[in-house]
Amino acid sequence: MVSDSIAAAPILSAANTKNPGKKKRTNRSAKLKQYKIDARREQWLSQGAVKNKGCKDGIDDDGHVPSLPVGKHSKRELEKVETRRRGEDDDVSIHQDSDSESPSNSPISSNSSVLCGNDSGTNFTGSSSGGSSSSSSSSGGCYSGNITEEEEDDDEEVEEGDDECLDDWEAVADALAADDKLQTSSQDEPVVETDSSCEVTNGSGVGSMSSKPGSDGVLPWASGNNKAWRADDAFRPQTLPNLSKQHSMPNPDRCCGGGIPWSRNSVPSNCPICCEDLDLTDSSFLPCNCGFRLCLFCHKRILEQDGRCPGCRKQYECEPIETEASVHGGSLTLRLARSVSMIERTLKCLQIIIQQTGPWVVFEHQGRYSTEILC
Amino acid sequence: MIDFARVQKELVECSKDAEGSGIRVIPKSDNLVHLIGTIPGPIGTPYEGGVFQIDITLPEGYPFEPPKMQFSTKVWHPNISSQSGAICLDILKDQWSPALTLKTALLSVQALLSAPQPDDPQDAVVAQQYLKDYQTFVNTARYWTESFAKTSSRGIEVKVQKLVEMGFPEAQVRSILEAVGGDENLALERLL
Repeated sequence: MVSDSIAAAPILSAANTKNPGKKKRTNRSAKLKQYKIDARREQWLSQGAVKNKGCKDGIDDDGHVPSLPVGKHSKRELEKVETRRRGEDDDVSIHQDSDSESPSNSPISSNSSVLCGNDSGTNFTGSSSGGSSSSSSSSGGCYSGNITEEEEDDDEEVEEGDDECLDDWEAVADALAADDKLQTSSQDEPVVETDSSCEVTNGSGVGSMSSKPGSDGVLPWASGNNKAWRADDAFRPQTLPNLSKQHSMPNPDRCCGGGIPWSRNSVPSNCPICCEDLDLTDSSFLPCNCGFRLCLFCHKRILEQDGRCPGCRKQYECEPIETEASVHGGSLTLRLARSVSMIERTLKCLQIIIQQTGPWVVFEHQGRYSTEILC
Repeated sequence: MIDFARVQKELVECSKDAEGSGIRVIPKSDNLVHLIGTIPGPIGTPYEGGVFQIDITLPEGYPFEPPKMQFSTKVWHPNISSQSGAICLDILKDQWSPALTLKTALLSVQALLSAPQPDDPQDAVVAQQYLKDYQTFVNTARYWTESFAKTSSRGIEVKVQKLVEMGFPEAQVRSILEAVGGDENLALERLL
Protein backbone atom coordinates (compact mmCIF):
# COMPACT_ATOMS: atom_id res chain seq x y z
CA MET A 1 0.00 0.00 0.00
CA VAL A 2 2.84 2.36 0.81
CA SER A 3 4.61 1.86 -2.46
CA ASP A 4 1.37 2.19 -4.29
CA SER A 5 0.49 5.44 -2.71
CA ILE A 6 3.97 6.81 -3.27
CA ALA A 7 3.78 5.80 -6.88
CA ALA A 8 0.35 7.27 -7.21
CA ALA A 9 1.50 10.77 -6.34
CA PRO A 10 3.65 11.33 -9.42
CA ILE A 11 0.94 9.82 -11.54
CA LEU A 12 -1.47 12.29 -10.18
CA SER A 13 0.73 15.23 -10.90
CA ALA A 14 1.67 13.86 -14.27
CA ALA A 15 -1.88 13.24 -15.23
CA ASN A 16 -3.10 16.59 -14.12
CA THR A 17 -0.36 18.95 -15.13
CA LYS A 18 1.89 17.01 -17.50
CA ASN A 19 4.78 18.08 -15.38
CA PRO A 20 7.86 17.93 -17.63
CA GLY A 21 10.25 17.89 -14.73
CA LYS A 22 9.45 14.34 -14.00
CA LYS A 23 10.48 13.16 -17.39
CA LYS A 24 13.70 15.12 -17.52
CA ARG A 25 15.37 13.02 -14.93
CA THR A 26 18.76 11.85 -15.98
CA ASN A 27 18.78 8.89 -13.74
CA ARG A 28 18.08 5.78 -15.74
CA SER A 29 16.45 3.88 -13.07
CA ALA A 30 14.15 6.77 -12.55
CA LYS A 31 13.36 6.72 -16.22
CA LEU A 32 12.73 3.03 -16.13
CA LYS A 33 10.50 3.51 -13.18
CA GLN A 34 8.71 6.28 -14.97
CA TYR A 35 8.11 4.04 -17.94
CA LYS A 36 6.74 1.38 -15.74
CA ILE A 37 4.50 3.86 -14.06
CA ASP A 38 3.36 5.16 -17.38
CA ALA A 39 2.53 1.69 -18.49
CA ARG A 40 0.55 1.11 -15.36
CA ARG A 41 -1.17 4.40 -15.85
CA GLU A 42 -2.20 3.41 -19.34
CA GLN A 43 -3.60 0.25 -17.94
CA TRP A 44 -5.52 2.10 -15.28
CA LEU A 45 -6.75 4.65 -17.73
CA SER A 46 -8.18 1.99 -19.96
CA GLN A 47 -9.81 0.34 -17.00
CA GLY A 48 -11.12 3.63 -15.73
CA ALA A 49 -12.51 4.53 -19.15
CA VAL A 50 -14.43 1.30 -19.28
CA LYS A 51 -15.77 1.76 -15.82
CA ASN A 52 -16.55 5.40 -16.25
CA LYS A 53 -18.99 4.59 -18.95
CA GLY A 54 -21.21 3.14 -16.33
CA CYS A 55 -20.73 6.04 -13.98
CA LYS A 56 -22.26 9.18 -15.34
CA ASP A 57 -22.29 11.03 -12.02
CA GLY A 58 -18.58 11.19 -11.70
CA ILE A 59 -18.12 12.47 -15.20
CA ASP A 60 -20.78 15.10 -14.79
CA ASP A 61 -19.32 16.41 -11.61
CA ASP A 62 -15.82 16.76 -12.76
CA GLY A 63 -14.12 16.30 -16.05
CA HIS A 64 -10.97 14.99 -14.47
CA VAL A 65 -12.48 11.77 -13.35
CA PRO A 66 -11.88 9.83 -16.53
CA SER A 67 -8.28 10.90 -16.62
CA LEU A 68 -7.68 9.76 -13.10
CA PRO A 69 -6.67 6.23 -12.38
CA VAL A 70 -9.55 4.98 -10.34
CA GLY A 71 -9.72 1.41 -9.18
CA LYS A 72 -12.63 -0.88 -9.54
CA HIS A 73 -13.37 -1.22 -5.90
CA SER A 74 -13.07 2.39 -4.99
CA LYS A 75 -15.26 3.33 -7.90
CA ARG A 76 -18.22 1.77 -6.22
CA GLU A 77 -17.33 3.41 -3.00
CA LEU A 78 -17.15 6.68 -4.81
CA GLU A 79 -20.63 6.31 -6.15
CA LYS A 80 -22.02 5.53 -2.77
CA VAL A 81 -20.38 8.44 -1.12
CA GLU A 82 -21.37 10.82 -3.86
CA THR A 83 -25.01 10.02 -3.58
CA ARG A 84 -24.97 9.94 0.14
CA ARG A 85 -22.87 12.81 1.36
CA ARG A 86 -22.03 14.97 -1.54
CA GLY A 87 -19.95 18.00 -0.79
CA GLU A 88 -18.36 16.59 2.31
CA ASP A 89 -14.68 16.48 2.78
CA ASP A 90 -14.64 12.74 3.04
CA ASP A 91 -15.02 12.55 -0.69
CA VAL A 92 -11.57 13.93 -1.12
CA SER A 93 -10.12 11.31 1.10
CA ILE A 94 -11.88 8.54 -0.69
CA HIS A 95 -10.68 10.00 -3.90
CA GLN A 96 -7.17 9.76 -2.55
CA ASP A 97 -7.70 6.27 -1.36
CA SER A 98 -8.84 5.29 -4.79
CA ASP A 99 -5.50 6.46 -6.11
CA SER A 100 -3.68 4.11 -3.88
CA GLU A 101 -5.92 1.25 -4.90
CA SER A 102 -6.58 0.36 -1.32
CA PRO A 103 -9.89 0.62 0.37
CA SER A 104 -8.96 2.05 3.72
CA ASN A 105 -10.99 1.99 6.86
CA SER A 106 -13.10 4.89 7.89
CA PRO A 107 -10.98 6.51 10.60
CA ILE A 108 -8.13 7.01 8.21
CA SER A 109 -10.53 8.43 5.71
CA SER A 110 -11.77 10.94 8.16
CA ASN A 111 -8.21 11.65 9.14
CA SER A 112 -7.21 12.66 5.67
CA SER A 113 -10.44 14.49 5.24
CA VAL A 114 -9.60 16.76 8.11
CA LEU A 115 -6.09 17.23 6.86
CA CYS A 116 -7.43 18.35 3.52
CA GLY A 117 -10.10 20.42 5.10
CA ASN A 118 -9.12 23.46 3.12
CA ASP A 119 -9.98 21.58 -0.05
CA SER A 120 -13.63 21.74 0.78
CA GLY A 121 -16.31 21.94 -1.84
CA THR A 122 -17.90 19.49 -4.15
CA ASN A 123 -16.45 16.23 -5.20
CA PHE A 124 -12.98 16.22 -6.75
CA THR A 125 -12.38 19.92 -6.32
CA GLY A 126 -9.18 19.05 -4.53
CA SER A 127 -7.60 17.81 -7.71
CA SER A 128 -9.47 19.81 -10.31
CA SER A 129 -9.19 23.36 -9.08
CA GLY A 130 -5.88 23.30 -7.32
CA GLY A 131 -3.76 21.79 -10.00
CA SER A 132 -0.45 20.36 -9.02
CA SER A 133 -0.08 22.19 -5.77
CA SER A 134 -3.41 21.14 -4.42
CA SER A 135 -2.89 17.64 -5.61
CA SER A 136 0.36 17.48 -3.77
CA SER A 137 -1.31 18.71 -0.64
CA SER A 138 -4.00 16.15 -1.18
CA SER A 139 -1.44 13.47 -1.52
CA GLY A 140 0.10 14.79 1.64
CA GLY A 141 -3.22 14.25 3.22
CA CYS A 142 -3.19 10.75 1.93
CA TYR A 143 0.19 10.13 3.44
CA SER A 144 -0.76 11.53 6.76
CA GLY A 145 -3.71 9.24 6.64
CA ASN A 146 -1.21 6.44 6.64
CA ILE A 147 1.18 8.09 9.00
CA THR A 148 -0.33 6.63 12.07
CA GLU A 149 0.37 3.16 10.86
CA GLU A 150 3.85 3.39 9.43
CA GLU A 151 6.63 5.71 10.34
CA GLU A 152 8.07 5.84 6.85
CA ASP A 153 5.11 7.84 5.79
CA ASP A 154 5.75 10.22 8.60
CA ASP A 155 9.15 10.95 7.14
CA GLU A 156 7.64 11.34 3.71
CA GLU A 157 5.31 13.95 4.95
CA VAL A 158 8.03 15.87 6.72
CA GLU A 159 10.16 15.80 3.59
CA GLU A 160 7.38 17.19 1.57
CA GLY A 161 7.24 20.04 3.99
CA ASP A 162 3.60 20.65 3.56
CA ASP A 163 3.00 23.35 6.09
CA GLU A 164 -0.72 23.22 5.81
CA CYS A 165 -0.82 19.66 6.94
CA LEU A 166 1.51 20.32 9.82
CA ASP A 167 -0.53 23.27 10.93
CA ASP A 168 -3.62 21.17 10.88
CA TRP A 169 -1.94 18.47 12.86
CA GLU A 170 -3.26 19.57 16.20
CA ALA A 171 -6.69 20.05 14.78
CA VAL A 172 -6.50 16.54 13.43
CA ALA A 173 -5.54 15.22 16.83
CA ASP A 174 -8.45 17.03 18.39
CA ALA A 175 -10.83 15.78 15.77
CA LEU A 176 -9.51 12.28 16.19
CA ALA A 177 -9.92 12.43 19.92
CA ALA A 178 -13.50 13.51 19.41
CA ASP A 179 -13.90 10.87 16.76
CA ASP A 180 -12.53 8.26 19.09
CA LYS A 181 -15.50 8.63 21.36
CA LEU A 182 -17.82 7.76 18.52
CA GLN A 183 -15.82 4.95 17.06
CA THR A 184 -15.22 2.22 19.52
CA SER A 185 -13.47 -0.10 17.17
CA SER A 186 -10.40 -1.53 18.76
CA GLN A 187 -8.41 -1.09 15.61
CA ASP A 188 -8.85 2.64 15.70
CA GLU A 189 -7.65 3.25 19.20
CA PRO A 190 -3.93 2.75 18.78
CA VAL A 191 -3.99 5.23 15.93
CA VAL A 192 -5.57 7.82 18.09
CA GLU A 193 -3.19 7.18 20.92
CA THR A 194 -0.18 7.60 18.73
CA ASP A 195 -1.52 10.82 17.35
CA SER A 196 -2.08 12.26 20.77
CA SER A 197 1.33 11.23 21.91
CA CYS A 198 2.86 13.01 18.96
CA GLU A 199 0.89 16.01 19.92
CA VAL A 200 2.18 15.84 23.46
CA THR A 201 5.75 15.70 22.32
CA ASN A 202 5.17 18.62 20.03
CA GLY A 203 3.49 20.59 22.78
CA SER A 204 5.24 22.35 25.58
CA GLY A 205 4.25 20.39 28.63
CA VAL A 206 1.24 20.16 30.87
CA GLY A 207 -0.12 23.57 30.08
CA SER A 208 -0.53 22.88 26.41
CA MET A 209 -2.08 19.53 27.12
CA SER A 210 -4.59 20.76 29.61
CA SER A 211 -5.57 23.57 27.30
CA LYS A 212 -6.88 21.12 24.76
CA PRO A 213 -10.25 19.82 25.73
CA GLY A 214 -10.20 17.45 22.81
CA SER A 215 -7.40 15.43 24.25
CA ASP A 216 -9.37 14.65 27.39
CA GLY A 217 -9.74 10.98 28.01
CA VAL A 218 -6.87 10.09 25.74
CA LEU A 219 -4.03 10.40 28.16
CA PRO A 220 -5.08 9.73 31.73
CA TRP A 221 -2.69 12.11 33.41
CA ALA A 222 -3.43 14.90 31.02
CA SER A 223 -7.15 14.74 31.54
CA GLY A 224 -9.29 15.90 34.41
CA ASN A 225 -10.37 12.46 35.45
CA ASN A 226 -8.14 9.63 36.60
CA LYS A 227 -5.39 12.09 37.25
CA ALA A 228 -2.34 10.81 39.04
CA TRP A 229 -1.04 13.62 41.17
CA ARG A 230 2.63 14.05 41.51
CA ALA A 231 3.96 15.20 44.83
CA ASP A 232 5.31 18.37 43.20
CA ASP A 233 2.19 19.03 41.16
CA ALA A 234 1.08 22.62 41.49
CA PHE A 235 -2.58 21.68 41.15
CA ARG A 236 -2.37 18.86 43.66
CA PRO A 237 -5.17 19.25 46.21
CA GLN A 238 -4.02 20.19 49.68
CA THR A 239 -6.21 17.58 51.24
CA LEU A 240 -4.27 14.70 49.78
CA PRO A 241 -1.83 13.08 52.16
CA ASN A 242 1.83 13.71 51.70
CA LEU A 243 3.25 10.40 50.61
CA SER A 244 6.83 11.51 50.55
CA LYS A 245 6.96 11.45 54.32
CA GLN A 246 6.58 7.74 54.62
CA HIS A 247 10.16 6.92 53.77
CA SER A 248 11.83 9.74 55.65
CA MET A 249 9.79 10.12 58.82
CA PRO A 250 9.56 7.20 61.13
CA ASN A 251 7.38 8.42 63.96
CA PRO A 252 7.06 5.87 66.73
CA ASP A 253 5.10 8.20 68.97
CA ARG A 254 2.30 8.18 66.48
CA CYS A 255 1.67 4.52 66.98
CA CYS A 256 0.29 4.31 70.45
CA GLY A 257 0.25 7.93 71.41
CA GLY A 258 -2.73 9.79 72.75
CA GLY A 259 -5.32 11.63 70.72
CA ILE A 260 -5.82 10.62 67.14
CA PRO A 261 -2.98 8.34 66.22
CA TRP A 262 -3.72 8.47 62.51
CA SER A 263 -3.70 11.45 60.28
CA ARG A 264 -4.15 12.08 56.61
CA ASN A 265 -0.93 14.02 56.49
CA SER A 266 1.43 11.20 57.31
CA VAL A 267 1.86 7.51 57.08
CA PRO A 268 2.80 5.80 60.33
CA SER A 269 5.90 3.66 60.27
CA ASN A 270 4.28 1.02 62.44
CA CYS A 271 0.91 -0.59 62.28
CA PRO A 272 -1.12 1.10 65.03
CA ILE A 273 -2.81 -2.22 65.82
CA CYS A 274 0.02 -4.71 66.06
CA CYS A 275 2.95 -2.24 66.24
CA GLU A 276 4.81 -4.12 63.51
CA ASP A 277 6.65 -2.15 60.84
CA LEU A 278 4.66 -1.23 57.79
CA ASP A 279 6.31 -2.31 54.56
CA LEU A 280 5.75 -0.60 51.24
CA THR A 281 2.66 -2.63 50.44
CA ASP A 282 1.18 -1.91 53.85
CA SER A 283 1.92 1.78 53.76
CA SER A 284 0.36 2.13 50.32
CA PHE A 285 -2.67 0.21 51.51
CA LEU A 286 -5.55 2.53 52.28
CA PRO A 287 -8.56 0.39 53.08
CA CYS A 288 -10.85 3.16 54.31
CA ASN A 289 -11.72 6.65 53.24
CA CYS A 290 -11.01 7.97 56.72
CA GLY A 291 -7.31 7.54 56.05
CA PHE A 292 -6.64 5.04 58.82
CA ARG A 293 -3.80 2.79 57.81
CA LEU A 294 -2.96 -0.60 59.17
CA CYS A 295 -1.07 -3.63 58.05
CA LEU A 296 -2.68 -6.23 55.83
CA PHE A 297 -2.61 -8.85 58.56
CA CYS A 298 -4.58 -6.74 61.00
CA HIS A 299 -6.95 -5.73 58.22
CA LYS A 300 -7.61 -9.36 57.44
CA ARG A 301 -8.13 -10.13 61.10
CA ILE A 302 -10.67 -7.32 61.40
CA LEU A 303 -12.49 -8.49 58.29
CA GLU A 304 -12.81 -11.90 59.87
CA GLN A 305 -14.54 -10.33 62.85
CA ASP A 306 -16.80 -7.29 62.73
CA GLY A 307 -15.13 -5.78 59.68
CA ARG A 308 -15.16 -2.21 60.90
CA CYS A 309 -12.41 0.31 60.35
CA PRO A 310 -10.55 0.95 63.62
CA GLY A 311 -10.24 4.60 62.70
CA CYS A 312 -13.85 5.52 62.04
CA ARG A 313 -15.74 2.39 63.14
CA LYS A 314 -17.50 2.23 59.78
CA GLN A 315 -17.81 -1.04 58.00
CA TYR A 316 -15.17 -1.75 55.42
CA GLU A 317 -17.19 -1.66 52.23
CA CYS A 318 -16.02 -4.97 50.78
CA GLU A 319 -12.66 -3.42 50.07
CA PRO A 320 -13.97 -0.86 47.59
CA ILE A 321 -10.80 1.14 47.42
CA GLU A 322 -8.76 -1.85 46.43
CA THR A 323 -11.14 -2.55 43.59
CA GLU A 324 -11.01 1.05 42.52
CA ALA A 325 -7.27 0.93 42.60
CA SER A 326 -7.07 -2.09 40.39
CA VAL A 327 -9.60 -0.69 37.97
CA HIS A 328 -7.88 2.63 37.81
CA GLY A 329 -4.50 1.05 37.63
CA GLY A 330 -5.65 -1.24 34.88
CA SER A 331 -6.95 1.53 32.72
CA LEU A 332 -3.92 3.62 33.51
CA THR A 333 -1.62 0.85 32.40
CA LEU A 334 -3.53 0.24 29.23
CA ARG A 335 -3.60 3.85 28.26
CA LEU A 336 0.00 4.47 29.06
CA ALA A 337 1.07 1.40 27.15
CA ARG A 338 0.10 2.97 23.88
CA SER A 339 2.12 6.11 24.28
CA VAL A 340 5.00 4.41 26.01
CA SER A 341 7.49 4.98 23.25
CA MET A 342 6.82 8.68 23.26
CA ILE A 343 7.34 9.81 26.81
CA GLU A 344 10.11 8.58 29.00
CA ARG A 345 8.57 9.86 32.18
CA THR A 346 5.42 8.00 31.45
CA LEU A 347 7.46 4.95 30.73
CA LYS A 348 9.01 5.08 34.18
CA CYS A 349 5.62 5.22 35.83
CA LEU A 350 4.40 2.47 33.60
CA GLN A 351 7.24 0.18 34.50
CA ILE A 352 6.59 0.67 38.16
CA ILE A 353 2.94 -0.08 37.67
CA ILE A 354 3.66 -3.22 35.79
CA GLN A 355 6.45 -4.51 37.97
CA GLN A 356 4.94 -3.93 41.36
CA THR A 357 1.51 -4.87 42.40
CA GLY A 358 0.45 -1.86 44.36
CA PRO A 359 2.54 1.26 43.85
CA TRP A 360 -0.42 3.56 43.62
CA VAL A 361 -2.97 4.84 46.02
CA VAL A 362 -6.41 5.98 45.13
CA PHE A 363 -7.85 9.00 46.86
CA GLU A 364 -11.30 10.35 46.77
CA HIS A 365 -11.29 14.08 46.35
CA GLN A 366 -14.56 15.98 45.95
CA GLY A 367 -16.39 12.97 44.72
CA ARG A 368 -13.88 11.78 42.21
CA TYR A 369 -11.10 9.29 42.53
CA SER A 370 -7.54 10.07 41.71
CA THR A 371 -4.49 7.89 41.74
CA GLU A 372 -1.17 8.74 43.18
CA ILE A 373 1.83 6.89 41.91
CA LEU A 374 4.54 6.11 44.37
CA CYS A 375 7.60 6.68 42.32
CA MET B 1 -3.57 -14.94 71.44
CA ILE B 2 -2.85 -11.65 73.11
CA ASP B 3 -0.44 -9.41 71.25
CA PHE B 4 2.01 -9.04 74.11
CA ALA B 5 4.38 -6.98 72.05
CA ARG B 6 1.71 -4.37 71.73
CA VAL B 7 0.78 -4.58 75.41
CA GLN B 8 4.42 -4.14 76.35
CA LYS B 9 4.67 -1.14 74.09
CA GLU B 10 1.49 0.33 75.53
CA LEU B 11 2.87 0.02 79.04
CA VAL B 12 6.06 1.78 78.03
CA GLU B 13 4.15 4.54 76.28
CA CYS B 14 1.85 4.95 79.24
CA SER B 15 4.67 5.16 81.78
CA LYS B 16 6.35 7.84 79.66
CA ASP B 17 3.38 10.12 80.07
CA ALA B 18 2.32 9.03 83.54
CA GLU B 19 3.28 12.33 85.14
CA GLY B 20 1.28 14.38 82.66
CA SER B 21 -1.88 12.37 82.45
CA GLY B 22 -1.80 10.80 85.90
CA ILE B 23 -2.88 7.55 84.29
CA ARG B 24 -0.83 4.49 85.11
CA VAL B 25 -1.03 0.94 83.98
CA ILE B 26 0.91 -1.63 85.98
CA PRO B 27 0.97 -5.36 85.43
CA LYS B 28 -0.72 -7.21 88.24
CA SER B 29 1.14 -10.37 87.48
CA ASP B 30 3.97 -11.43 85.26
CA ASN B 31 1.93 -12.63 82.31
CA LEU B 32 0.56 -9.21 81.29
CA VAL B 33 -2.98 -10.54 81.21
CA HIS B 34 -4.05 -8.90 84.45
CA LEU B 35 -3.19 -5.28 84.91
CA ILE B 36 -4.06 -2.48 87.26
CA GLY B 37 -4.91 0.93 85.92
CA THR B 38 -5.13 4.02 88.09
CA ILE B 39 -6.83 7.25 87.15
CA PRO B 40 -7.03 10.45 89.15
CA GLY B 41 -10.48 11.84 89.80
CA PRO B 42 -11.22 14.70 87.42
CA ILE B 43 -10.84 18.18 88.83
CA GLY B 44 -14.11 19.98 89.46
CA THR B 45 -16.06 16.81 90.12
CA PRO B 46 -17.03 15.01 93.31
CA TYR B 47 -14.23 12.59 92.45
CA GLU B 48 -11.52 15.24 92.64
CA GLY B 49 -8.59 14.26 94.77
CA GLY B 50 -9.30 10.55 94.60
CA VAL B 51 -7.21 7.95 92.82
CA PHE B 52 -9.29 5.16 91.38
CA GLN B 53 -8.00 1.72 90.68
CA ILE B 54 -9.32 -0.28 87.77
CA ASP B 55 -8.77 -3.96 87.28
CA ILE B 56 -7.90 -4.75 83.72
CA THR B 57 -8.08 -8.19 82.20
CA LEU B 58 -6.99 -8.64 78.63
CA PRO B 59 -9.04 -11.11 76.60
CA GLU B 60 -7.45 -13.55 74.20
CA GLY B 61 -8.35 -11.43 71.22
CA TYR B 62 -6.85 -8.19 72.50
CA PRO B 63 -6.47 -5.69 70.81
CA PHE B 64 -9.21 -6.85 68.51
CA GLU B 65 -11.47 -7.37 71.52
CA PRO B 66 -11.93 -4.77 74.24
CA PRO B 67 -10.12 -5.14 77.55
CA LYS B 68 -12.28 -6.01 80.52
CA MET B 69 -12.23 -3.17 82.98
CA GLN B 70 -13.77 -2.92 86.40
CA PHE B 71 -13.37 -0.46 89.22
CA SER B 72 -11.71 -2.04 92.19
CA THR B 73 -12.15 1.23 94.05
CA LYS B 74 -15.71 1.90 95.13
CA VAL B 75 -17.27 4.73 93.15
CA TRP B 76 -20.64 6.48 93.37
CA HIS B 77 -21.47 7.09 89.76
CA PRO B 78 -24.56 6.45 87.59
CA ASN B 79 -22.59 4.48 85.01
CA ILE B 80 -20.48 2.47 87.45
CA SER B 81 -21.90 -0.23 89.62
CA SER B 82 -21.62 0.74 93.24
CA GLN B 83 -21.54 -2.97 94.08
CA SER B 84 -19.25 -4.58 91.55
CA GLY B 85 -17.49 -1.65 89.97
CA ALA B 86 -18.64 -2.68 86.50
CA ILE B 87 -18.35 0.11 83.98
CA CYS B 88 -21.03 0.94 81.44
CA LEU B 89 -19.05 2.47 78.62
CA ASP B 90 -19.60 1.87 74.95
CA ILE B 91 -15.95 1.80 73.95
CA LEU B 92 -15.42 -1.07 76.36
CA LYS B 93 -18.18 -2.98 74.59
CA ASP B 94 -19.46 -2.63 71.04
CA GLN B 95 -17.67 0.61 70.25
CA TRP B 96 -14.23 -0.74 71.00
CA SER B 97 -11.69 -0.21 68.28
CA PRO B 98 -8.31 -1.90 67.96
CA ALA B 99 -6.88 1.55 67.46
CA LEU B 100 -7.70 2.35 71.07
CA THR B 101 -5.23 1.51 73.79
CA LEU B 102 -5.39 0.83 77.50
CA LYS B 103 -4.41 4.41 78.09
CA THR B 104 -7.08 5.87 75.83
CA ALA B 105 -9.64 3.54 77.34
CA LEU B 106 -8.67 4.70 80.83
CA LEU B 107 -8.87 8.30 79.62
CA SER B 108 -12.40 7.56 78.45
CA VAL B 109 -13.25 6.13 81.85
CA GLN B 110 -11.85 9.27 83.42
CA ALA B 111 -13.99 11.35 81.08
CA LEU B 112 -16.99 9.26 82.10
CA LEU B 113 -16.38 10.31 85.69
CA SER B 114 -16.66 13.95 84.65
CA ALA B 115 -19.69 13.42 82.45
CA PRO B 116 -22.15 10.94 83.92
CA GLN B 117 -24.87 9.69 81.59
CA PRO B 118 -27.83 8.79 83.82
CA ASP B 119 -30.00 7.98 80.81
CA ASP B 120 -27.94 4.85 80.20
CA PRO B 121 -27.21 3.79 83.76
CA GLN B 122 -25.25 0.93 85.16
CA ASP B 123 -26.43 1.58 88.69
CA ALA B 124 -30.11 2.49 88.69
CA VAL B 125 -30.12 3.77 92.26
CA VAL B 126 -27.29 6.19 91.62
CA ALA B 127 -28.87 7.27 88.34
CA GLN B 128 -32.19 8.00 90.04
CA GLN B 129 -30.42 10.02 92.69
CA TYR B 130 -28.46 11.89 90.07
CA LEU B 131 -31.64 12.83 88.21
CA LYS B 132 -33.92 13.57 91.17
CA ASP B 133 -31.61 14.81 93.89
CA TYR B 134 -28.40 15.98 92.33
CA GLN B 135 -27.03 17.59 95.50
CA THR B 136 -27.39 14.38 97.44
CA PHE B 137 -25.68 12.57 94.62
CA VAL B 138 -22.76 15.00 94.72
CA ASN B 139 -22.44 14.67 98.47
CA THR B 140 -22.56 10.92 98.32
CA ALA B 141 -20.04 10.72 95.54
CA ARG B 142 -17.69 13.04 97.37
CA TYR B 143 -18.05 11.00 100.54
CA TRP B 144 -17.27 7.80 98.67
CA THR B 145 -14.25 9.41 97.11
CA GLU B 146 -13.01 10.55 100.50
CA SER B 147 -13.70 7.17 102.03
CA PHE B 148 -12.43 4.78 99.37
CA ALA B 149 -10.44 6.58 96.71
CA LYS B 150 -8.20 8.63 98.94
CA THR B 151 -7.30 6.70 102.03
CA SER B 152 -7.05 3.28 100.56
CA SER B 153 -5.21 4.24 97.48
CA ARG B 154 -3.07 6.80 99.22
CA GLY B 155 -2.31 4.27 101.89
CA ILE B 156 -1.49 1.65 99.31
CA GLU B 157 0.71 4.01 97.38
CA VAL B 158 2.62 4.85 100.53
CA LYS B 159 3.00 1.17 101.37
CA VAL B 160 4.07 0.38 97.85
CA GLN B 161 6.61 3.14 97.94
CA LYS B 162 7.99 1.87 101.22
CA LEU B 163 8.33 -1.69 99.97
CA VAL B 164 9.81 -0.59 96.66
CA GLU B 165 12.40 1.43 98.53
CA MET B 166 13.31 -1.78 100.32
CA GLY B 167 14.30 -3.18 96.96
CA PHE B 168 11.29 -5.17 95.82
CA PRO B 169 9.90 -4.87 92.33
CA GLU B 170 6.85 -2.63 92.19
CA ALA B 171 4.62 -5.06 90.32
CA GLN B 172 5.29 -7.79 92.82
CA VAL B 173 4.74 -5.46 95.73
CA ARG B 174 1.40 -4.33 94.36
CA SER B 175 0.13 -7.81 93.62
CA ILE B 176 1.13 -9.12 97.03
CA LEU B 177 -0.24 -6.09 98.83
CA GLU B 178 -3.51 -6.64 97.09
CA ALA B 179 -3.45 -10.36 97.81
CA VAL B 180 -2.99 -9.75 101.54
CA GLY B 181 -5.62 -7.04 101.63
CA GLY B 182 -3.25 -4.09 101.99
CA ASP B 183 -1.53 -5.28 105.12
CA GLU B 184 1.98 -3.96 104.90
CA ASN B 185 3.54 -6.41 107.34
CA LEU B 186 1.90 -9.46 105.77
CA ALA B 187 3.08 -8.30 102.36
CA LEU B 188 6.61 -7.89 103.66
CA GLU B 189 6.55 -11.36 105.09
CA ARG B 190 5.47 -12.75 101.78
CA LEU B 191 8.04 -10.79 99.90
CA LEU B 192 10.78 -12.04 102.17
